[in-house]
Amino acid sequence: MRSILVRITALGAAVAVLAAACGGGGGAPTQPSPTAAPAATAAAKPKFELASYQYAIQTKGKLKVGTREDNVPFGLKNPATCKFEGFDVDVVREFAIAIFGAEGKADPDKFIEYVPVVSATRIPTLKDNKADIVAATFTVNEERLKEIDFSTVYFRTGQKILVKKSDTTIKEVADLKGKTVCTAKGSTSEKNIAAKNKDAKLLLLDSYPPCLIALQQGQADAVSTDETILFGLVKQDPNTKIVGGYFSDEPYGIGIAKGRTGFAPFLNKVIADMIADGRWAALYKKHITPVSGDVKDGPHDKGRPGG
Amino acid sequence: MPDLGVRASVCARGGRKDLTMPGAIMFEFPDLFFTGLFLTVQLSVLGSIGALAAGTLIALFRISPIPPLRWVGVAYVEFFRNTPLLVQLFFLFLGLGALGFRFWTTDTFESIFRAGAAGMALYHGAYVAEVIRGGLLGVDKGQIEAARSLGLSYVQTLRYVQLPQTFRATIPPLGNIGIALIKNTSLASTIGVAELLQAAEIVESRTFRTEEAFGAVVLLYLVLTIPASLGVNWLERRLLVAR
Repeated sequence: MRSILVRITALGAAVAVLAAACGGGGGAPTQPSPTAAPAATAAAKPKFELASYQYAIQTKGKLKVGTREDNVPFGLKNPATCKFEGFDVDVVREFAIAIFGAEGKADPDKFIEYVPVVSATRIPTLKDNKADIVAATFTVNEERLKEIDFSTVYFRTGQKILVKKSDTTIKEVADLKGKTVCTAKGSTSEKNIAAKNKDAKLLLLDSYPPCLIALQQGQADAVSTDETILFGLVKQDPNTKIVGGYFSDEPYGIGIAKGRTGFAPFLNKVIADMIADGRWAALYKKHITPVSGDVKDGPHDKGRPGG
Repeated sequence: MPDLGVRASVCARGGRKDLTMPGAIMFEFPDLFFTGLFLTVQLSVLGSIGALAAGTLIALFRISPIPPLRWVGVAYVEFFRNTPLLVQLFFLFLGLGALGFRFWTTDTFESIFRAGAAGMALYHGAYVAEVIRGGLLGVDKGQIEAARSLGLSYVQTLRYVQLPQTFRATIPPLGNIGIALIKNTSLASTIGVAELLQAAEIVESRTFRTEEAFGAVVLLYLVLTIPASLGVNWLERRLLVAR
């Protein structure tokens, strides 16, 4: 009996150690520096209206953020460093800086509490107040606007086509006539293809990696879904390329719960400032250009070839 | 991405007051459901014939007096019975595809269909082989000795004495395998065969009418399996040897 108890305790301790190794999510806790005067730090914080939600967050001292852990290049928990990274995450860090001022700028992660989400848990996470904002390639649409609020569009993408690099016949969605196009079943991508080109032959598999293999083997002529997912496939197989323009619209917004006074306009202002002063373009260059090869100045920019 | 907002609102509506007769949705999307049903029937029939042929051959290998044939039989049964059908299907579709083998066709959908049918035959063939082997071993040794002493060769003894009795005696377990095969054809949806289950998945993602789409599939599978069960029972009554 005793030995079982000892084992359970040991197991518990081991689990605790493992959890601690990647725990927190907000980076290493930093001790407040004894030399920094608390008054000076407080003075560096931006002033908000007392009724606003950003003031509540500032007072709380933490911005709770729902993001994905496995969505390259937008939200990813780096398994080596246990830190979150990606385009969405860096946008969120800008919000933290805007709320917490100079101290936030020094280490935004100190003020951010990450709440991992998947597609299906994004709205519940907001409604149950588990997160203040959700930044996770979250497409703004009518149905969702009934449940939650969104910021302005901070990233815009759409459905595109992935073909082999050697392919010269498929350049846009109209060229898919009679071709075999692979996509995931149960996705809006399948609906979009069927709507845009009813002569395309759809090969429906469970996810995108088998689609990529089918493309590599020539069983499929093209793979089609959100460009952001195609970026990830190109990274896996550099012998493929993305062609054509968008034939669906996927505008991403920051999700927030309804009834957050003044919060959406505040986020919109931060997003607008980021686009205006080039921080947005810098983030695009950092996260998206390595896979897309283009540069953009803002979410509505058409983009042009970049180095 | 499935649109959660839409799903949630369908659920919130609380079990659709306008819910129509179960299965009525199949007549709204007849091309998807009935083409799917037809493909499921084709897979089932081709798979069953293939499984019976492969299984009988492997069973003969397993009772053969020639050791290498016995080893082949054992290897076949253990491999196909002990690995998941899903993995075998992916190997037949993408694995063989990587080696350049497309089941003698250049059409992707035809090659996927053939991969699916081959998977059904190979996998269930392993089970059929064991059932048939059991049946062959169940034939009274005295009959075999009598046949051989009458001058029948080994092959003739199999053909005229052992196999006819075996097939009649093994109808119930073979029927079991056949019905399992009909249901297992749904796994072919994962390699892209647009059979019944995939038809329902497409309808579900287009309409968010989950309960209706999968309800229709349940009905259509029952339409296939219940007559199959009755047919097996009838065959059993007609042909089963009383021992």
